[in-house]
Amino acid sequence: MRGRMGVLHLRINGDDVEVAAPSHWTLLEVLRYRLGLTGSKQGCDKGDCGACTVLLDGKPVLSCLTLACTVEGRAVTTIEGLLPAHVAGGGQGADPVQDAFDRCGALQCGFCQSGMMLSARALLDRNPNPSDEEVRAALAGNLCRCTGYTQIYQAVELAIAEATGKRPKPRSWESTEPRGSS
Amino acid sequence: MAARDRHGKDAPWGEFAVVGKPLRKVDGLAKATGAAIYADDIALPGMLHAKTLRSPHAHARIVSIDASDALALPGVHAVITGKDLPVKYGVIPWTPDENALAVDKVRFIGDPVAAVAAVDEDTANAALKRIRVEYELLHAYLDPRESLTRHDPAIHEGRKEGNVSKNVLLEFGAIDQALATSDVIVEDEYTFHGTTHAAIEPHCAVAQYSADGVLTVWSATQITHYVHRALARVLELAPHRIRVVQPCLGGAFGGKSDPFSLEFCVATLAMRTGRPVKMLYTREEVFYCHRGRHPMQMRYRTGASKDGMLRGVDAKILIDGGSYSSFGLVTTYYAGQLLTGPYAFPTYRFDSTRVFTNKPPCGPKRGHGSVQPRFAFEVQLDQLAEKLALDPIEIRRRNFVGEHTTTVNGQRITSNGFLACLDQVERASDWSTRHGKLPFGRGLGVAGSMYISGTNYPVYPNKMPQAGIQLKVDRSGLVLAFTGGNDIGQGSNSVVQYIVAEELGLALDQVRVVAADTDLCPVDLGAYSSRVTFMVGNATIDACRKLRAQLVEALAAHWQVDAKRVRLIHGEALDLEDATHHLPIVEAFHLAEERFDTLGATGSYNTPELGGPYRGGTIGASPAYSFTAHVAEVTVDIETGRVRCEKVWIAHDCGRALNPMLVAGQMEGSAYMGVAEALMEEHTVNRYGLHRGPSLLDYRIPTSVDTPELAALIVESLDPEGPYGAKEAGEGPLHPSIPAISNAIFDAVGIRLKHLPFTPGKVLAALAERRARAGEPTVAGGAR
Amino acid sequence: MLRLPKFEVATPSSVGEAIALLAEAGPSALVVAGGTDLLPNLKHELATPELVVSLAGIRELVGIRVDAGGALAIGAMTTLAEVAASELVRTRAPALAQAASLVAGPQLRTMGTLGGNVLLDTRCQWINQSYFWRSALGFCLKKDGTKCHVVEGGKKCVAAASNDTAPALMTLGATLELEGATGRRSQPLDDFWVADGIYNKKLAHAELLTEVRVPPTAAGHRGAYGKLRERNSIDFPLLGVAVRLDVDAAERIQAVDIVVTALAAQPKRLARVAELLFGLPARGAEFERALEAVAATAAKQCNPLPHIPGDHEWRKAMVPVWVRRTLRAAAERGGPVHED
Repeated sequence: MRGRMGVLHLRINGDDVEVAAPSHWTLLEVLRYRLGLTGSKQGCDKGDCGACTVLLDGKPVLSCLTLACTVEGRAVTTIEGLLPAHVAGGGQGADPVQDAFDRCGALQCGFCQSGMMLSARALLDRNPNPSDEEVRAALAGNLCRCTGYTQIYQAVELAIAEATGKRPKPRSWESTEPRGSS
Repeated sequence: MAARDRHGKDAPWGEFAVVGKPLRKVDGLAKATGAAIYADDIALPGMLHAKTLRSPHAHARIVSIDASDALALPGVHAVITGKDLPVKYGVIPWTPDENALAVDKVRFIGDPVAAVAAVDEDTANAALKRIRVEYELLHAYLDPRESLTRHDPAIHEGRKEGNVSKNVLLEFGAIDQALATSDVIVEDEYTFHGTTHAAIEPHCAVAQYSADGVLTVWSATQITHYVHRALARVLELAPHRIRVVQPCLGGAFGGKSDPFSLEFCVATLAMRTGRPVKMLYTREEVFYCHRGRHPMQMRYRTGASKDGMLRGVDAKILIDGGSYSSFGLVTTYYAGQLLTGPYAFPTYRFDSTRVFTNKPPCGPKRGHGSVQPRFAFEVQLDQLAEKLALDPIEIRRRNFVGEHTTTVNGQRITSNGFLACLDQVERASDWSTRHGKLPFGRGLGVAGSMYISGTNYPVYPNKMPQAGIQLKVDRSGLVLAFTGGNDIGQGSNSVVQYIVAEELGLALDQVRVVAADTDLCPVDLGAYSSRVTFMVGNATIDACRKLRAQLVEALAAHWQVDAKRVRLIHGEALDLEDATHHLPIVEAFHLAEERFDTLGATGSYNTPELGGPYRGGTIGASPAYSFTAHVAEVTVDIETGRVRCEKVWIAHDCGRALNPMLVAGQMEGSAYMGVAEALMEEHTVNRYGLHRGPSLLDYRIPTSVDTPELAALIVESLDPEGPYGAKEAGEGPLHPSIPAISNAIFDAVGIRLKHLPFTPGKVLAALAERRARAGEPTVAGGAR
Repeated sequence: MLRLPKFEVATPSSVGEAIALLAEAGPSALVVAGGTDLLPNLKHELATPELVVSLAGIRELVGIRVDAGGALAIGAMTTLAEVAASELVRTRAPALAQAASLVAGPQLRTMGTLGGNVLLDTRCQWINQSYFWRSALGFCLKKDGTKCHVVEGGKKCVAAASNDTAPALMTLGATLELEGATGRRSQPLDDFWVADGIYNKKLAHAELLTEVRVPPTAAGHRGAYGKLRERNSIDFPLLGVAVRLDVDAAERIQAVDIVVTALAAQPKRLARVAELLFGLPARGAEFERALEAVAATAAKQCNPLPHIPGDHEWRKAMVPVWVRRTLRAAAERGGPVHED
C-alpha cells in the first residue's frame, strides 16, 4: 500500500472498522478525530507522557507515535472498549481496573488515566498477580501530575486483590486513631 | 445576609451519612471509561483550527507584519494580529499589561504575534510560515538583578517604576531592635529556581459565535468567571452576550488561572469567520504560557533567644516575574504575608520586589507565592535549631503561634492543628529514635507550613458573594446543583454532591452537578487560592438549608408532627418517633412542591471582614488557614551526589475531611510535586532566552518509579467557619516537602542545601566543601 | 497537536520490496521501524520526507534464534521488549538484554526495535526541538544552519550517540547484516560508526539493517550495562557503559571490553583497560584496586560535552563511578546498573 490517503481496516474495541485517513496521521489522530474515540488523550505530542496509550494486539503502545496506516488489520483497544468488553464477558458495569481507579480516588483530573488504566489492564491480562515492583515498572511510561501515583497503585492493588482474594494493604489515612487535635 | 452565616461543625442530622467517607467522585466513572469530555474532545460541525505565530526573539519591536501570503493560502480563513485585539488585559485589574497578540513589541521567546484559522491544523501551520514579521531587536533582560537597576529599554513602557513590576515593604513591630537584642542570629541566602505546572492536558479553547450574536467559549480554564470578564473587556462585547464553559479539565495547578491568548483568538476568529474555531496548544506552547512558580532570591535574617524562641524575622526577596504581571502583585505580597504562621513572629519585616525579565511570564503555581519563602525559612529554622542544639521538631513546637489568635501581620487564625501534625509525623517516622542517628547517607528532615483557604481579596473589588450556588429540585427525585466552581480534578463537584446529599438526606445518585458554565451557573470566583471547598462548600450548605426547611415543613405538616421529628436520610424521609411515618424522599419533594410551588434554592458565601489595617492587609487574609508538617526521609549517594527521597510522611490539618480519600489524594499529589521541585524540575531559559527544553522529555516530571512512598496523615481541627469544619487540602501540603528534603539531606550527610534544585552536581560540590572544611581528602570516595 | 509533515507511507511485506521502494524514491524516502525515534524527529521537522517506508509488515525481520554457526541472530524488527525478555539473549548476551531493558519506558520498548535503537539518530539539546524553537536561535549545523551551539566556532556536529544497545553490542563483537540494492554485506559494528553527529553511521541510502548477529560468547562470559539518567524511566542516557568480562574456570579475568556512549557522535571503546584487569580474580581486594585504576583511566578518556541536556561536568564526574559500578556488576553476574 502506498499513497497520501488510505482506507484502513482496523479492529477497534472488537469491531471491524474502515476509516479513511491521510497517510501522515497517527493512530491517535485517527482515533480522536476520525472515529470520535476521544478517550485516548494527547498530552506531550511526541511519546513522552503516555496519555495516548492504547493496546495494540493487547500490548500498550503510544498511539501518538504510531502511524495509523502501519497498523492495518490489527486489533486496537482504547479506554472506551473496556466497559463493553467487561459487560460482554458477563461482568457488570466498568472493567474492574476502571472501577478500582474510581473507588480509590485515582482519577483526579483523569486526563492521563485512560493510558494508565490501559497499561494496568495489559499488565493484569498477562500477569494477574504482579508484585508491587512489577506494577510500578508497568506504569513507568505513564506520567500522572495529580496523584503522586499512590492512589493509582492502591487501585491496581485493589483490582488484583479482588481478583485473587488477597487483602489490600491499609492506607496511611485509614488510621483508627482520632485525627483531631480538638 | 446568609452568606456570612456559620453553619457549624456538626452533621446536619446528628451524624454524618456521607461526609467523612471515602466515596466515589461524582465524575469518576465518566473519567474512568473515557466518556468525560475535555476541551480538545469537542468537535463542532464546520469547525476551523487555529494556530499561533510566536516571537522568536526575547525582546524586540515589531516593525511590520505581512500576512498576505498566509491569507492567500487555500484553506486559510482568517489571520489576526495585535491590531485586531488592542485592548490590554490582566487577571489583576490594576495591572493590565497583556495583549492577546503582541502590539508593537514582543517580550519573550514565545510571545504570541498572530493567529491563523484554517480548515485544518496542517494548513494553519503552513500559513504561519508564510507570515513575515520584521523585528527590531532590543536588549533582552535575562537576569532579574539587571532589571532592578537598568530600565532602558523598558520591558513595559510608560511605567514610572521601569522594569520593577511591584515592590512591597511591610514592617511589623520593632524588628531592628528585636534582632539587635537577640541571643542568636541566623542569616543566609536561598534560591528558589523556576518550576512549572505541567498539567498533562495542554491548553485548548473552542469558540462558536451564533447568528444571534452569542459568543460561546469552551476553555480549559480553572477560572471561568475571569475569562468571561476578560473576554468582555478585550472583545468589547456586552458580558451577557458571552458564555464561557469549562469542560472537564485535565489538570491545572494554577497554570490555567489567567486568561490566555488562545481564548481571545478563537473568539475573534469565530466572529470573523462565522465558523466554530478550536485552538489546541502544543506541549511546547504550554511551556511558553508558563505562569509557573516565580524564581526568588531570598535573604533571611532570623533572631532568637537562647531557648529558641523567635524574636524577629527580616526578609529581602527578589522575584523574577518574567515578561508580564499576571498575578504578580499578589505574588509579591504573598511572598511575605503568608509566612507568619504556624510560628509566632513577635516582629517581622519583608521587602519583596518583583521585576520583569524577557522570559515566559510567571504566575501562580500550587502554593502561590509562599512555597519559596517557606523553603528558605524552614531551612533557616533548622539552621537555628542546629546552632542552639535543639531538636528541629522541638523548635517548631516551641514557636507555635496557637489557635484563635492573630499573627504579627494581622491575620486572624481560627482552628490550628499544627501541633497534632507535628505529633503525627514525629510518631509515624519514628523520629525520636531515628533523627540524627541513622547511618551516614540517610537522614530525616522536618518542615511545617500554613496556607490559605481562599482569601477575602476577590481580585476585582466588589461586595457580592465570592461563591454562589443554585439548586433545582425535580419531581423525579433528582437534585441538580449548579455551581460556578471549577472542578479541576481536585473534586470540587464531588464536594458539592456530598454536601447536598448530606443536607437533604439523599442517595448520591439523586444529586448531579452542573458546573463552570457562565450561562447556567451562578458566579463563583473559580479554582484558585484553595478557596473552593471552603467557599463553595459553605454556599452549598446555605442553599441546602433553605430547601431543607421547606421539605421538613411540608413533611411535618403532612404527618402533623413537630418539625424536629423529621429526618431525611439515604433517600428516605422519616419520623423519628413514629415508624409508620416514612416516605421516599421524592414524595417529600412532591409535598413540598404542592406547598411552596416550584422548588429551588440559592446559596452563597462571602468572607467576613479580615486582614490587617494597612495597605495590602487583606491580601493573604483567609477565613481559615490549613497547617501541614512533613518529615522526609532521604538517602544521599555520596559518590554520585544523587539524593533519593525515600518516603514522605505528610500530616495535614484540613479542618474536617469531607472525603478523606480525596483529601489524601491532594496531600499525596502536593507532596509529589514538592519533591519533584526539590530534586528534579527546573523551568529555565538558555543564553538566548529560549526555553531550555519545552517538552515532557526535557522538563522531567517524576514517573512512577521516581516517586517516593507517600504517607498521608489527616489531622482534623474542625474549623468554626468551614463547611462542617473543613479547610483546604490542595496546596498547603506541597510547601514543607522542599525544605524537609533539604533538612533531611543535612541530617544524612551534614550539608546545607540552600539553592534549589538539589542536583547531584550541587550535592557533590557541597560534600567536597564539607570535606575540605573538615580537612578530609576532597576526592569522592567509594564509601558506598 | 504537534503534527507530522505530510508524506506518503509504503508498507512493503518483504525486504526486497522495501529496498526497491527506497531505491526508486531516492533520498526523499526514509525508513520507519518502531517509529519512536523517527516520528518525534519528523514532528520536529528534522526531516521532511516524501515517502516513509514502514518495515512493520516484514515478518522475516522479526525473531531471535541461534544460527548454524552458533551466533545469536536477532531480526532488526524484534522489539526491545522482546530482546530484554528473551532467555536466549539474557543468558548469551546479558549486557544487551540489560541495555534493551533500560531503553525509554515500557510502551516505547514495546514499539521500539533493536534495529531502530542501533540506528538511532544522534541527539543534542540544540537539535531535538521543534522547527520554531530551532528557528529562534538560527538553527544549527546538524540541520538548516551553519553554527554549532555546543562548541563555539565548532565546524563538526557533536550530537551524541544515545543508543543504549549499541555499546552493549560492541562489547559482544556484534555484526550487522545489511542488505541493499547491490546485495548483502556483514558489517562489524565496531567499524560502523563515523565521528560526525550529522550522520554517524556507514549505512547507505536504501540499505536496510536486517539482522544483528552476536557471535558465541565464551563459557565464562559476564556482561552488564549501566545507564545514567535523571529518571528511572523514559529518559535517554546521560551516560551508558557496557562491559564484557570473560573469566576462566578459576574466575580469573581473560578478556575485558568497555564501551561508553552518550559522550560523542559515536560510542567509544575505552583503551588500556584489558591490561589493568587481565589475569586478576574477578572479586576481592586486588580486583577492587584494579577497578579504581580502570575508573581513573576511563575518566581521562571521556569528556562529555554540553550537547545533551544535563550538567556535563557532573556527567564527567560520573564516568569513573559508572565504569566501576558496571564492571563490578558484570563480575558479580549482576546489573543492570541504573538506580542510585
